[in-house]
Amino acid sequence: MSDITQEQVIQTELTAAYPCLQDKVRIQRARRLYAAVSKERIGEVFAFVVRNMDFSMLCAITGLDEGETLGAIYHLARPDGMVLNLSTSVPKDRPMLRSVTVFFPAADAYERELIDLLGFQVEGLGPGPRYPLPDNWPAGQYPLRKDWTAPDQAGPQREGSENPDV
Amino acid sequence: MSEIRSRNVTIPIGPQHPALKEPTSFSVTLSGEKILQVGVRLGYNHRGIEKACESRSFIQSLYLIERVCGICSHSHSSCFVQAVEEIAGLQLPPRAMYLRTIVAELERLHSHLLWLGVAGHEIGFDTLLMYTWRDREIVMDLLAAITGNRVNYGMNTFGGVRRDISHEQKADILKAMDTLEERTKYYISVATEETTLIQRLSGVGVLSHDDAIRLGAVGPTARASNVKRDIRKDDPYAAYDQVPFDLITSDCCDVYGRTLVRVGELMESYKLIRHLLNNLPDGPLAVKAPRKIPTGEAVSRYEAPRGEDVHYVRANGSEKPDRVKVRAPTLANVQAVAHMLKDRYLADLPIVVAAIDPCFSCTDRLIDLTRDGDGRCDVITWGQLHDYSMRWYKGQGMDLAKLNNRFKCGESS
Amino acid sequence: MAGDLFYILVFPGFLFLAVFALIADYIDRKLHAKLQNRIGPPWYQPLADLIKLAAKEDLIPRQVDPWLFKLAPVFAVTAVVTAALYIPIWRHGTPMSFNGDVIVVLYLLTIPTLTFFLGGWYSRSVYSMIGAARSIMQLFAYEIPLFLSILAPALLADSWSLGGMTLFYAHHPWYALFNAVGLFTALISLLGKLERVPFDIPEAETEIVAGSFTEYSGRLLAMFRLALSIEMIVGAALIAAVFLPFGLNLGGPAAFGLYLVKVLGIVAVIALARTVFARLRIDQMINFCWQFVAPVAFLQVIIDLVAKGVIAR
Repeated sequence: MSDITQEQVIQTELTAAYPCLQDKVRIQRARRLYAAVSKERIGEVFAFVVRNMDFSMLCAITGLDEGETLGAIYHLARPDGMVLNLSTSVPKDRPMLRSVTVFFPAADAYERELIDLLGFQVEGLGPGPRYPLPDNWPAGQYPLRKDWTAPDQAGPQREGSENPDV
Repeated sequence: MSEIRSRNVTIPIGPQHPALKEPTSFSVTLSGEKILQVGVRLGYNHRGIEKACESRSFIQSLYLIERVCGICSHSHSSCFVQAVEEIAGLQLPPRAMYLRTIVAELERLHSHLLWLGVAGHEIGFDTLLMYTWRDREIVMDLLAAITGNRVNYGMNTFGGVRRDISHEQKADILKAMDTLEERTKYYISVATEETTLIQRLSGVGVLSHDDAIRLGAVGPTARASNVKRDIRKDDPYAAYDQVPFDLITSDCCDVYGRTLVRVGELMESYKLIRHLLNNLPDGPLAVKAPRKIPTGEAVSRYEAPRGEDVHYVRANGSEKPDRVKVRAPTLANVQAVAHMLKDRYLADLPIVVAAIDPCFSCTDRLIDLTRDGDGRCDVITWGQLHDYSMRWYKGQGMDLAKLNNRFKCGESS
Repeated sequence: MAGDLFYILVFPGFLFLAVFALIADYIDRKLHAKLQNRIGPPWYQPLADLIKLAAKEDLIPRQVDPWLFKLAPVFAVTAVVTAALYIPIWRHGTPMSFNGDVIVVLYLLTIPTLTFFLGGWYSRSVYSMIGAARSIMQLFAYEIPLFLSILAPALLADSWSLGGMTLFYAHHPWYALFNAVGLFTALISLLGKLERVPFDIPEAETEIVAGSFTEYSGRLLAMFRLALSIEMIVGAALIAAVFLPFGLNLGGPAAFGLYLVKVLGIVAVIALARTVFARLRIDQMINFCWQFVAPVAFLQVIIDLVAKGVIAR
């Protein structure tokens, strides 16, 4: 192993291209990098790492309820095993994200999950069936938000019930 | 026939359909026998496990996560455990790493054998189903002997594993590997020589190398399109960086290639298990894990039998996880299925869908029995349960013990 | 009159055929299971299945024409039982034989497939309709080779009745060897007719649930199942009579025993095919039948015509 690890190379490259990411790129362990990006820059940074840095796999998109804001983490991976986690936050009253389906058609399911479970709005996502909640799920109910609790009784919401044994 | 040709029919495959072992809905628009369009609707099995984890302690979540899938239960639990161990900064004893890997490979064996049978069934070749599922029982018995369960093993705990492999078990596993290897060689010869099988699999469900990358296919689906993608190699976890094994790929890009990759991986797994068992280090099974996990986050990747499994865990310093995100391999492959089905025949749909090995829900087996009469509950051991089932079938006029002995004598195929 | 009635209803008519069909069904299933390394059903399983189905409620979809829906299985059973009346069992010919009965038998054996089509098509379910369309498509593929391969031996025997054919081959047993190719193609066509693996395309479970029979239940389904089982032994008996016409001279029990052996032997071949093959796709099946089976069956006709010319000289 050389003195400069592959992780540090990625860190340097990223901060060189986006000075605003200075100190925002964190190496947690071998092959795991985390970067927090503002919601204004996430589209650019995402496009840059996918196009120029060979992050050719989108492992998943995680949605988070961070209290005042909603967070989204794009888990991107490279064929050599490097994983870059780009996270961003958007305000809860206007939780707008740009769809990444142009880069990764498979992101469709992950983005629909963000919409259904956390109430994100995803711009540029084509029409299609919802996922994973049932079609008769009441509007405005987002099960993964921290303030959401399962309604007591069965009914249309039963699928979102907290009891995994149902 | 003219009527069916003149207009397009849309037929529902699912949510309940004989070809699907788990509810999913494909609405297939047909022109004659040709598929024009496929609409996929998922989510029928959404059980809210991610949300449920947030209200449970870490150790409770572990057992809940293990029940995400009945077949790759060890995959999900290992993936989750790895993430939590990373956050808590736990260093696993080497023996625990090896044991975890052995169970993982045994799980791959039973999952791939299961797949081979299902694939046979989907193309109307039930003999293959019967043969492979018979052999799968050997693996299931091994898993039951090691972990106490046929599925949902409960092998993992934070900081290590819960059970050890004894010398006798080691010998049993090694013997079983020889039997299985011999049988697998027979399946390879069937897969490469049987004409109707090749006709039904070859050129079906084509996914080109570029499409596989573009659509984000994972696991054997991707490897059959010659994409060298295997988390065990790319992002090694557990003991995979210490054992030699080959990455199996195929450039067939079709269902036939996926079959070859899976039987090839079976052969690799036998090799892996032998190596792991013969080099099993001594030492403790687990290190002590704290009840409260410090604040932090981790992404864990794991090569499940079906492909890459991704877990994201965030802890906030309490006993309960703040967020658990699970991405099962099937979700990554579903896009590829819709692509593969376009302009194909309806008859190919079941096998193309099955070829990505969509995750089936499985039920565990009963270990709490209520006795007739006094209604008392007691737990019976695996051996007792095994004997009980033998007795029950004997009462039905079927002596399975005799049959099993015959298999053990090596009379097969 | 009473004799005829006995012949039609009891032996070797409906009752005998039903019992024999169940036995053949059992042997088929047991053998299939043994070949697959399974235990297989107990001997009474086919009968138990039949009784269970007969005890169930008949569900008739609201949109269908109930008469057609109910009559389709009845026609299927009737046609195969009628066909059986012309097939020699323990002597040359039967009381019903006439010159040309081989054609009648072939057409009677086509009727079940037509009832599968009608029953399925008028079930008004997409699975049934696709299954029905596949039944008919498949019919066109195997019917010609079957006709060719059955009629070729008739050409050689110069008789259009099954009794006449068996009599001819009894006198010239070695001539039956000319028809070896036809036996092969007739067996393949029979697999198609019976909708058995590798040609079980019209009822491919994993694609279209149960094909034509998807909407059928209870007694009506039982009748379809029985018709298929009887068709299996009638088809096997037809092939046995045409291609393996030996032993009918023995008369009585010996000839009857030989008949059972021949039919069950063909059933065993069918079970073997079910074990070793995967289901083909409809296009593959049609290509296979037209590119391979039909030309070979035609070759059989030529062989028999040439043989006949040589013999006549």
